[in-house]
Amino acid sequence: MERNLTMIALFAALIAALGLIPKFTLASGVPISAQSLGIMLCGTVLGAKRGALAVLLFLGLVALGLPLLAGGRGGLGVFGGVTVGYLIGFPVAAFVTGLLAQVWRDRGGWILPAVAALVGGVVVLNILGIVGMAVKLDKTLAEATLLATPFIPGDILKCVLAGLITQGLQKARPGLLQA
Amino acid sequence: MISLTSDVRTPFHTLPAGPKLLGLCLFTFAVFFLESIGGALAVTGLVGLSYLAGGVRFAFQGLRLMRPVFWVALIILAYHLAVGETAPGLVVALRLVAAVGLANLVTMTTRLDDMLAVVERLLTRVGMPQRTRHRIALAIALVIRFTPVLAEKGGALNEAWRARSVKRPGWRLVLPFALLAIDDADRVAEALKARGGEI
Amino acid sequence: MFSGLDIALAEHRVGVIGRNGSGKTQMARLIAGLAAPDAGDVTVAGVEVAKDRKAALSTVGILFQNPDHQIIFPTVGEELTFGLTSQRYDKAEARDRAVEILARFNRSDWYDRPVHGLSQGQRHLVCLMAVLVMAPKLIILDEPYAGLDLATTLRLRRYLDALDPALIHITHDLTAIENYDRVIWLDWGEVRRDGKPGEVLPAYEQEMREKGGRDDFADL
Repeated sequence: MERNLTMIALFAALIAALGLIPKFTLASGVPISAQSLGIMLCGTVLGAKRGALAVLLFLGLVALGLPLLAGGRGGLGVFGGVTVGYLIGFPVAAFVTGLLAQVWRDRGGWILPAVAALVGGVVVLNILGIVGMAVKLDKTLAEATLLATPFIPGDILKCVLAGLITQGLQKARPGLLQA
Repeated sequence: MISLTSDVRTPFHTLPAGPKLLGLCLFTFAVFFLESIGGALAVTGLVGLSYLAGGVRFAFQGLRLMRPVFWVALIILAYHLAVGETAPGLVVALRLVAAVGLANLVTMTTRLDDMLAVVERLLTRVGMPQRTRHRIALAIALVIRFTPVLAEKGGALNEAWRARSVKRPGWRLVLPFALLAIDDADRVAEALKARGGEI
Repeated sequence: MFSGLDIALAEHRVGVIGRNGSGKTQMARLIAGLAAPDAGDVTVAGVEVAKDRKAALSTVGILFQNPDHQIIFPTVGEELTFGLTSQRYDKAEARDRAVEILARFNRSDWYDRPVHGLSQGQRHLVCLMAVLVMAPKLIILDEPYAGLDLATTLRLRRYLDALDPALIHITHDLTAIENYDRVIWLDWGEVRRDGKPGEVLPAYEQEMREKGGRDDFADL
């Protein structure tokens, strides 16, 4: 029980700490924010329930006024901005990713966690994010989707990374995903 | 860890957190229904004046916090100007600025402890058991304690990378970073168990 | 932190001592080029380490305190070849050099070993090899033995003493630097004493004992 609590708290802290690293670039020059990678990892490593709780804890602290989002952003204001759909989508994405990751966890490898991250962290997250933007900007869903499209290739790459990292974590700490 | 609460004492600081948050919710909801430029301008102007009520230094802090939103608002305006829909664009942009502006105002004038107290009261009101509330409080404390620790360790990894490579750190750093978090989680769990008490 | 610091270190073995917070690590970072000076410059063997990072990598290496905050890759081989691929070596050459240094330390079977299975002392050795494999002219050691047991400490000390590159060794373990060429005592960004170990170490130790004997926690 203690370990569940600390894993949730430490992963929330990890998401926050990842926001403090400057965006890293992939070989192709695409900048990737490390924080959204952290959201995916919450799902693939912690599973659905713990992963979602970790992200909710993180968002809760952001709402309470801590500048934990990348770039030192935070406070209630961020929930009033155009990315509110994505913020709400974060815990949902972690949950969906976690569900799939849990189902597939015995298979090992990097592809299945990557697919889990794709379904949760790209598909579900973008659906919610696009809806949020459409509402906030007074646009149709189609128009909002156009706004979201440039970021999708980077997001897909992020899923691959999430898969590779999850695989690496499992190798480094056998039994991690089963815990 | 430093929160976004402003160090400048404003009249808003003395208001209790609960009503402030409730007011914010109602305001954000109402703003959504603004349709006229006049209305949007008036509301946004009111929010702006509220910042000034806290003094010039406070207002400047507020401006800094609002910077990303101003950029987005500018882009929205530019787009709407380009497609010839200036009026709706102005309304959308102003609504955004007003909503985020008031939300930031609440954040800047409410201490973290007071926010936590409101959360605690709410959770009690909805009937959450004491044990769960205790766990949440503990989890919050752990995140606040360990974010700077992890950030520092991440910085050390960053340095270790830069000491051997001219390339900027890539995604490869996330793996050892996550391991640090996992190992810390194990250690803290042990410490909690050792201290005893109900978790 | 340092104001008006102007020193030239040319000795083969230099020790740096001082209380925590006196600037030892900051000095290490300046010499390694990880931090740039606000004014003035830091050069090692003619290379301006903060500005010319590429040349700096082949000139200065740095070993930090905690292997867990330094080792980036999951296997020993990957960790060793990492810096090399950033220098001019291609993958095959990097692998060769990594294999060579493992052989030098009698650890040829370590190439594919995962790091997490290694003991603390073994991980310290991996960090050392990762720095050595880049063949720097100078290695900075920032408290490399912290937390190790005596046997492991002595063994690592033997490795270090036998190294070719010049060493700047920051440590709390005064016996490790007794035979060094020069010892510098840093105190809040200033050079308190600078000379042979025979002069500096006893003076340092005496002051530390005095401080330890007092009861006020003001400067703890």
